[in-house]
Amino acid sequence: MKILVIEDDSPISELICMNLEAAGYCPVPVDDGLKAQKLLQNGQADDAALALVDIMLPGKDGFALMEDLQKVRIPVIYLTAKADVLSKVHGLKSGAEDYIVKPFEILELLVRMEKVLERTGRGRTRIQIRDVTIDLKKHRVTRDGREISLKPMEYGLLVTLAVSRNVAFSREELLNRVWGTDYMGETRTVDVHIGQLRRKLDFHKVIRTIPKTGYRLEDTD
Amino acid sequence: MKLWIKLSLATILVLLFTTGLSGVVTIWHTARYHEQKTLEQYEQLLHSTALALGMELEHSGMRSYSAVTKNAYLNYLMQKYGPEQFILLCDQQIVCNLTPFDLHPAPDDRWNSPEAKSVIQKSGEQYILITGQAVPDRHMGNYTLVLVQDISDQYADIRQQALLTGGLCLGGALLAVFLLFVLTRKILAPLQSLRQAAEHIRQGKLHERVHVHTGDEVGIVANAFNAMAEQIEAQLTALSQLSEQRRQMLGSLAHELKTPMTSIIGYTDTLLHVNVKEEQQKRALTHIYQESRRLERLSSKLMRLIGMYDNESISFVLTDMSALFAHIKELEQLPLAQKQLTLHTSCHMEPMLLDPDLFESLLINLIDNSAKASCPGSRIELIGEQNRIWVKDSGHGIPHKELGRVTEAFYMADKARSRKEGGCGLGLSLCTEIARLHGARLVIESTEGVGTRVSVLFSDSSEGSVT
Repeated sequence: MKILVIEDDSPISELICMNLEAAGYCPVPVDDGLKAQKLLQNGQADDAALALVDIMLPGKDGFALMEDLQKVRIPVIYLTAKADVLSKVHGLKSGAEDYIVKPFEILELLVRMEKVLERTGRGRTRIQIRDVTIDLKKHRVTRDGREISLKPMEYGLLVTLAVSRNVAFSREELLNRVWGTDYMGETRTVDVHIGQLRRKLDFHKVIRTIPKTGYRLEDTD
Repeated sequence: MKLWIKLSLATILVLLFTTGLSGVVTIWHTARYHEQKTLEQYEQLLHSTALALGMELEHSGMRSYSAVTKNAYLNYLMQKYGPEQFILLCDQQIVCNLTPFDLHPAPDDRWNSPEAKSVIQKSGEQYILITGQAVPDRHMGNYTLVLVQDISDQYADIRQQALLTGGLCLGGALLAVFLLFVLTRKILAPLQSLRQAAEHIRQGKLHERVHVHTGDEVGIVANAFNAMAEQIEAQLTALSQLSEQRRQMLGSLAHELKTPMTSIIGYTDTLLHVNVKEEQQKRALTHIYQESRRLERLSSKLMRLIGMYDNESISFVLTDMSALFAHIKELEQLPLAQKQLTLHTSCHMEPMLLDPDLFESLLINLIDNSAKASCPGSRIELIGEQNRIWVKDSGHGIPHKELGRVTEAFYMADKARSRKEGGCGLGLSLCTEIARLHGARLVIESTEGVGTRVSVLFSDSSEGSVT
């Protein structure tokens, strides 16, 4: 899935691209407002599913790029150091889907991107991890064509890990995301369900335990 | 108590005192004069009467008269000369008294001289003038004539005059009071507008001025007040501009800090939580290292900029400029050669009093700026003449609309390029500050596409050959 990364600071641009790649996206970096505009007007970026846009850009600033992005119906997430409320309000009012203030956490960025993609109907319908296919529409998981029966919480856990693959989640984050913030269970619950997933899908090496952090679903292909 | 009341009251008191005093003195003098005149008049009368009486007594045959006849004769004489006024004494005994008065105290020898002797006696409400003298006869015995006259009317006159004068004084004073009140109020009215203006300024309306155009002291105070308000307004404006500048600088600083921070936090986060390839891990570490170095550079430049605001760390030394130029050329040779640039120096300057370290960093900063703007193969000039040093390049210049802002902290005309060259937008702020500390100023002339010349202009007072 193609993601436009419009950011002039090359270390930050590379940082975003590196993580998007790891999470299974296909990032396209652009380091200048005018270049981005040209790209959009030439129709070279029509297939992009989302744009991460810095606001203070050389050539043309992020707010000014909004018009061009909306023309080709690419949803926008502003990613900027401008933390003041006015800029946020301006950014969101101008039609951005979300507004993330630097410095940001990788996981937060990925989750917010996923939410925006889902909301705009661009969410992934199918996730392939090795020989396991997750059909997000039918909520079905198959392995080599054979359906694997998962309990609802096991399915939620698998999807959460698979959507942000290669990114580590803490047990608390997994509890919050899958069981909901109201759930008063212990983090041991997560370990039990992870164990079930590993056994059912033969993901003993795919879902790795990260010491002092939590779990990570690894798939670098 | 308000000033106009004070002034009025003081004036009134002085006025009342002086007019009262002069009134009293005048009345007293007039009274004395009248008294004197009256006395003289009556003494004259007494004198002539005494003379006439003496003559008559001398020519009468009174010596031969019997006592009764003598008495009758004397009575007749007194009747003739003025029965209401005169008393005749003989050997201090009353011989004939037809007046309604009695002599008190009893007559003695006080009137025995031929000169008139007078006294004014107060009896009840009446003022009585008593004057007497010896009757000038040689043979008839020791006769004395005494004149008694009620002069109360005179005193009533004087009293009336005193009352009139007093009344006039009082009336005048009252009128003066009224006029004074009105006048002082009018004269001091500008003070009121002065007070209002001060009040307005207190409320923050600093543009408020006093509109008093009198030539008196109030006018002078008003002018001084206006000058003060002017000064305060100017200083406050300067202060708020300064604080606005500081605020912007802090804002820029926060932003400049955020960019490397975002990278550092992001990459460490990635390394900790994300499964990335080994080469990417190395890239991440390189970025963390570079961005940390950038932060370090930024902080050390900032420290210098801030450190320069307290002037203690600066030591001025009489410096040979040619030697300084040569040193700079030596320092810059290698970095410039790497960019295929040449530095041409020329110095015709007297030794100057300056901080060599700071000044060196100023010139190196300017040369580095030129180097960043120059294309390979071009040359940079460092020239010193009289009270002016300049660094000139033939690089791509500064856009005209940016010229005014390039010395602002964190301002970068071309952000992307500046970052690539390792700049953080503090260089020219530093240079300006160093120049300021040396009593010099920075003048930047630039034409886009042609080149830039940055001059350090020393004011004449700090020009070379310092004694």
